[in-house]
Amino acid sequence: MNDVWIAGVGMTRIGRRSELLQDLMAEAALTALGAAGLEQPDAMVVATMNPEEFVGDGNFASSVASYLGLSEVPTLRVETATSSGAAAVYAGFVQIAAGHRRSVLVVGGEKMTHLPTPKVSELIGRSIDAYERSYGATMPALAGLITRALIARQGMTLREMAQVAVKNHAHGARNPYAHFRDPVTLDEVLNSRMVADPLRLLHCCPISDGAAALVLTAERTGVRVAGIGHGTDTLAVRHRHDLVSFRATQAAAQAAFAMAGFGPERVDFAELHDAFASFELIALEDIGLVPPGKAGHITLDGETALDGRLPINPSGGLKARGHPLAATGIAQIVECVWQLSGQAEGRQLGGRVALAHSIGGLATNNWVTLLESA
Amino acid sequence: MIETIAASRCPRCDEIVAPPATYCPRHPVRMVPARLPGVGEVVSFTTLHSPPEGFKSPLNLALVELEGGARFFCHGSQTRGLKVGATVAIEAIDDVYYFSHLGALDRARLFWRRAGRAGDRVNAMTRSVVKRMWKGTSSG
Repeated sequence: MNDVWIAGVGMTRIGRRSELLQDLMAEAALTALGAAGLEQPDAMVVATMNPEEFVGDGNFASSVASYLGLSEVPTLRVETATSSGAAAVYAGFVQIAAGHRRSVLVVGGEKMTHLPTPKVSELIGRSIDAYERSYGATMPALAGLITRALIARQGMTLREMAQVAVKNHAHGARNPYAHFRDPVTLDEVLNSRMVADPLRLLHCCPISDGAAALVLTAERTGVRVAGIGHGTDTLAVRHRHDLVSFRATQAAAQAAFAMAGFGPERVDFAELHDAFASFELIALEDIGLVPPGKAGHITLDGETALDGRLPINPSGGLKARGHPLAATGIAQIVECVWQLSGQAEGRQLGGRVALAHSIGGLATNNWVTLLESA
Repeated sequence: MIETIAASRCPRCDEIVAPPATYCPRHPVRMVPARLPGVGEVVSFTTLHSPPEGFKSPLNLALVELEGGARFFCHGSQTRGLKVGATVAIEAIDDVYYFSHLGALDRARLFWRRAGRAGDRVNAMTRSVVKRMWKGTSSG
């Protein structure tokens, strides 16, 4: 297998955007190509979760390629629900690792804020098992079930979960690309509107528009993709034996570390999928970054803050940077590359090994990507 | 009375799911029909304050592990006093399944039914059932 490197990255500001989805993706893609010093990649991979419903366009690989003047570049689209961006990075990675391509542009994006929130929730919710949906299950509902089980079985506290949101908002305040740049207090989180008991509004990520892109290359650069792992689980939450950890994350992490040839102790910082605050705590333990039962304590102790021992979500995470679905898995890697190459002004970390973790659906299709500076 | 709920079992791994599925979630094998008693332990529950279209707010949802192993999704009229680990009964109203806290009489029936099946567990169950009955319905 050939080494795969990252030649350039780019992303749009995340938030409420008025441009076309194609425009947002072009902005991110052209920034990444510019940073890579490349006009035409050998191939392209596009990630969008549901442009058919969100913006009314289909055949989206060709739509994006044609829009940004790359209509003759072989382009395919990848979809694994909310982790589509990370899946697209894998689809590009294997083309280079196999020696089939020398450069691949990976771009992901989503545009949703022009639709009413209940409509967006319903469309995202279609990634849930149909029977569970027929009982009114939505992403927040299933996350609420998981969170209550965490509290009852693992002794996790609402305060620990609220601290995840407080920390990630504080990080987002330092990120010019973030959806939310205002800090929140523990009391504000704990007193925000109840969404799915015990989850409150400020435990949940927002609905965001945006795009992110990166160029993968066979030529040596400053950042190497050290490992990518893919893990899956049953679509139905009721078919799982464990509610308080995600098999899909555990399997993805094991595969990524096996490919990289090192373990979680080498990771200096990480971008984790905090769609709901409790998910960051679950991921810390599932990936093995923190011993079982310790994620809440170390978060309250500040160990996962920017100045802590193991900074988590320096970008602000899904909570504050925002969650434009198929852009997210790529945006996480963009943040890691910025951090590893000294371009994260205002929130710059040290370290050589970064980890990105993306959840598809209700943890049915997850990815862990490891990046190492050369 | 305790209802039974339609389920299916994997002939390969004995996994049981409810409602029945065509294929086992973990093996590409056709499942065979099974039935489970409509009683089980609350794995978790939530109250959704902005439910999707077609549902009234607040919407109570629970995941219940039925005796026999399958985890089951259902609605509930209320969650006050409900705890993770509590025993609840499940019943269908117009093809929609609801959980409800077990009354003392239901628990006694359940106890004798279980005792008949697994005599060696009688002592442990006596303690557990008596404890639950003593705490009354609020502890579910």
